[in-house]
Amino acid sequence: MRILTISTAISIAIAASLGLLTPNVWIQAAKNLATFSTYLGIDTSLVYEATIVAWETLVMSVFGVSVGTILSYILSPLATPVISSTPISMPIRTLANSIRAIPAIFWAIFFVILVGPGPKAGALALAVYTTGYLTKFFYETLESSDIELVNSLRVMGLKGILLASALYTNMRKQVISNIFFMLEYNIRSAAILGFVGAGGVGYYILQYISLLDYVAVTTYILITILFVIAIDMISYGIRSRI
Amino acid sequence: MNVYATEYKEDYGKAVELIDVEAGYKDIPVLKNVNLSVDLGRKIAIMGRSGTGKTTLLKVIAGLLKPWRGEVKIFDEDIYLNGRRLDGKIAYIPQNIGLIGGETVLYNVLMAKASRKPVNFLTGIWDKEDIRRAKEILDSVGLGDKILERVDRLSGGEGQRVAIARAMFQEAGVILADEPVSNLDFDTAEKILEILTKLSEEGVSIIAIMHDRHLAVKYFDEIYVMEDGSLVRRA
Repeated sequence: MRILTISTAISIAIAASLGLLTPNVWIQAAKNLATFSTYLGIDTSLVYEATIVAWETLVMSVFGVSVGTILSYILSPLATPVISSTPISMPIRTLANSIRAIPAIFWAIFFVILVGPGPKAGALALAVYTTGYLTKFFYETLESSDIELVNSLRVMGLKGILLASALYTNMRKQVISNIFFMLEYNIRSAAILGFVGAGGVGYYILQYISLLDYVAVTTYILITILFVIAIDMISYGIRSRI
Repeated sequence: MNVYATEYKEDYGKAVELIDVEAGYKDIPVLKNVNLSVDLGRKIAIMGRSGTGKTTLLKVIAGLLKPWRGEVKIFDEDIYLNGRRLDGKIAYIPQNIGLIGGETVLYNVLMAKASRKPVNFLTGIWDKEDIRRAKEILDSVGLGDKILERVDRLSGGEGQRVAIARAMFQEAGVILADEPVSNLDFDTAEKILEILTKLSEEGVSIIAIMHDRHLAVKYFDEIYVMEDGSLVRRA
């Protein structure tokens, strides 16, 4: 309850300083929304094309997550002091933090420079970005493992990647949840990466925005949302079976 | 059959030997001048009130907590002499049993050989002989019909038996058990202790923290009481 009270106080204070508590702002916003909504709609002739592009976005995201999972699976034990040692874990954590500190779109620009425009650049950008995030998620998962379990495994002779593998298995619901979270996150990110030429749905959305064709934009966004919902349902289905 | 209990029996004088051990956490002393000598195949019960250092003693023997001073020898080898060595000679069963939740009984037993067979463990593909031996051990502890059951769906007694089966598959020469029967009913507790007794007859040394004096007297060869960090042998 204290967190809720503090959050409410902070929200009201900042909203007031931004002028969001002025009624005229919301009256004008409602008028603008009414005008803008007349431009929205679904262009059924674009659904097939949007689905193909959304599929390309999904493939980029899956590549990013699968490569990111492999790299994080190896890096996270090194970043966990209970498995590794502080002189090794600190640089790995710093590396993961640095990767996360750079937004995915900048990684996309970087890879467009390296390998040229298209899904290749987007897929590589998502792989690097996912590695930064999943490494953090995984080492936090490893650190939250029951210390008595860790002790019994260490006495058994398990260390390094073997110890980590056993702990990942013990926390696999959380690990799989993290992987699917990143898949959803990547699909949303990939929708933007196209803005800088890194493939995916973003490229088309940008083109239609520049043509002021908001019906096409809405169609592409809606198809992307459907993909995200499908991923969420698959994720829920898999997690509930674990 | 256990390798330490059979092949090397004549080579080892003692399974566990603690000489003038002092240990603690940060600057708080817990164990004070502890001496303990355990022969192969002996069952030792450690008793005492909460907070007297029983679990700390097990951790020192297990190789998890380096003592401030003194020697900890497992099969005549000082395990803290040249850095800590955890090489699977000991099995440590903590209070919460320490099994991998969500996985099967068979997985939890097979993983005891993860350090010796890392590729098999990481790929999940085990030799037929390993699987046969694991099943044989599970049969011997009465879990032959539950090998594919998830361990988090087992009762407390069954979970404890899985942990013991894992120690057997590990071929550990010493089993350290932290309150192995504390949360079990009397009949189940007796079944667990009978399995440990059978193991000790094969040469495995057992050191267990016990709270039930009656069970300790009935099933253990020696009883020690931990009093304020010191270990006192009781007749």
